[in-house]
Formats: sequence, structure tokens, C-alpha cells
Amino acid sequence: MIKTTEKSVFKLPKSLKAGMKFPFCAGCDHGVAIRLVAEVLDEMNLREKTIAVASIGCSVMLYDYLDTDCVEAPHGRALAAATGVKRTNKDKFVLTYQGDGDFASIGLAESLHAALRGEKVSAICINNTTYGMTGGQAGPTTIMGQITKTSPNGRNEEYYGYPIKIAEQVALCDGTAYSARCSLDSIANIKKTKEAIRKTFEVQLQGLGFGFVEILSTCPTNWHLTPQESHERVRNELFQVYPLGVYKEV
Amino acid sequence: MNYIKLDKTRCKACYLCVDVCPKKLIIKGSQPNSLGHFPVEFKDPDNKCIGCAMCAMRCPDIAITEVVKN
Repeated sequence: MIKTTEKSVFKLPKSLKAGMKFPFCAGCDHGVAIRLVAEVLDEMNLREKTIAVASIGCSVMLYDYLDTDCVEAPHGRALAAATGVKRTNKDKFVLTYQGDGDFASIGLAESLHAALRGEKVSAICINNTTYGMTGGQAGPTTIMGQITKTSPNGRNEEYYGYPIKIAEQVALCDGTAYSARCSLDSIANIKKTKEAIRKTFEVQLQGLGFGFVEILSTCPTNWHLTPQESHERVRNELFQVYPLGVYKEV
Repeated sequence: MNYIKLDKTRCKACYLCVDVCPKKLIIKGSQPNSLGHFPVEFKDPDNKCIGCAMCAMRCPDIAITEVVKN
């Protein structure tokens, strides 16, 4: 009889609550992003000293998934709350998990000023080019020509203006130590995203400054596409507007 | 023998794992789960699974809870 040694190459991360289930729509990349955050927290052994700050949007229930301490911030104010948490608890690890509407529309002032002040926190922004939870309205990152509930003829420059490129804007701030844009459309990009999240956490631990990663995600329900077609759209349309890459690294 | 552990109560039938499996061992199921979706099934009669864990990495709902490699 051949003796075999079984080895687990993939397991549920310990930083996720036991028995929790994601309530997201089928094919939504939020689940992948939260799992990657939990995996990096596990690998860097940060679970016991982490205080996560949740935002409003599909990311609102973060405290139901992550088995860490968690604060719920008002809409857009996750980085303002994170600033207070970090300044009063310098030995803790503070991260925010926000959507694009929360980070770049309602909370743009809080977000950019946290980057300008060089707050030693890590921010993760999920960009799905729409307001997912409220029903698919046009957001600050909605790309030109995209049809949403509030732009039924497609986004045009004379009525709606232009989309914001968050990773580039954050990279322009002097307090930023790391700013990158990643995607979750393929296995290769999922692995790159995990490395970017790790780098974002490392700059906080080293005290270099503000760490930021923007993750291109999908919203199959509000894009009215299948999960497979949504990833095709990310590759074919979003990559032209939002090129992947590291925009700042000190 | 390499294999995956599938939690069918978590599967929402997005079928993203069906596309990424290099050996095409994950197929669309025919029995609905408690969510009303038709979860995927893992069929590997010839032990072709290479334990790459790409299906688990792709799954947005962590329905593939463990990948075991020998």
C-alpha cells in the first residue's frame, strides 16, 4: 500500500468568523476581496491587534465576516474614524474597507485628507463603477457611456462630467506611502491583489504613511450581466479607463 | 489523490469555478440547495485533480472550503 501524506493547500482563513456566509449576489467579487484581506491578516499574524473600520454600501457588514474588532463609520467617514482610532491606539493595526461611492464621492474630502496627512492606516477601496447596494445609480467612478439607473442614456461629459481615478489621485498626495490599482478578474490578478494588500499593510506596520489599494470589482446584478460577462467587461472596458499598476511606492 | 471539499449550502451558482478548473472536473449540478440555486458538483472518477486550488481562489462565497493535495 502506498503511503500518502495529505496537505491542505487552501483552507478557510482564521480571520473570518466561523460559519459566516456572505450575503452578496452571485458572482460578486466582494467575497474574494474580503477573503484576501482575511488571508493576509492570518499570514501577517495581525488578527489580535486589528481594528477594522467598516463603511456604508455593500461593504457595510464587514463586522459580520471579519473576526476582528470593528467600528462602523457614517457614510464616507471611515477614514476620519480610522484616524481617531489609530491616533489613540498607536500599537493597533487599523484598516478601512470601503466602496467607491463611499471613498470617492461622499467621503472624498475625508479620504484625500487622510492621505495628505499621511495617516498610518490602510485603506481598501472596491471600485465597481456604480452604487451597488442602493440599486445601481451612477457613481463617481461610472465610466463614460455606462448606462445606470440615473444615467439611462449613458454617462456623458456635458451632464455628468468625468470619472475619478482614485489610485492616481491618492498617489499625488505627499503623505501616501503606497497606492496601487488591482483587479479580481482572473486568478493571476487575484494573486497580484493579495500582494498589493500585503504591501498596503506593511507600509502601515513600518510607519511609512498612508497605504491604499483600489480593487476593480464587478456588480453583475446592476450591470445586468452574468458573472462571466462581468469579468469580460472589466477586461475589455474598465482596463482602458483604469489601468492596473502601482502608482506610488516609497 | 487530490480533492476539494465543497459546501453546497454556500454555493450561489455563479459557475466561475467551472470556467477556471484546468481539468474541467467541476460541473453544474442538477439538485437545488436551500438557497434555491443549483450548486456545482465535483466529479473526479479518474483522479485528475491537480490540487491547484484555482477554484477555491476564484469562488466568491468560499463554497470550496478546503483543497487537499497529496
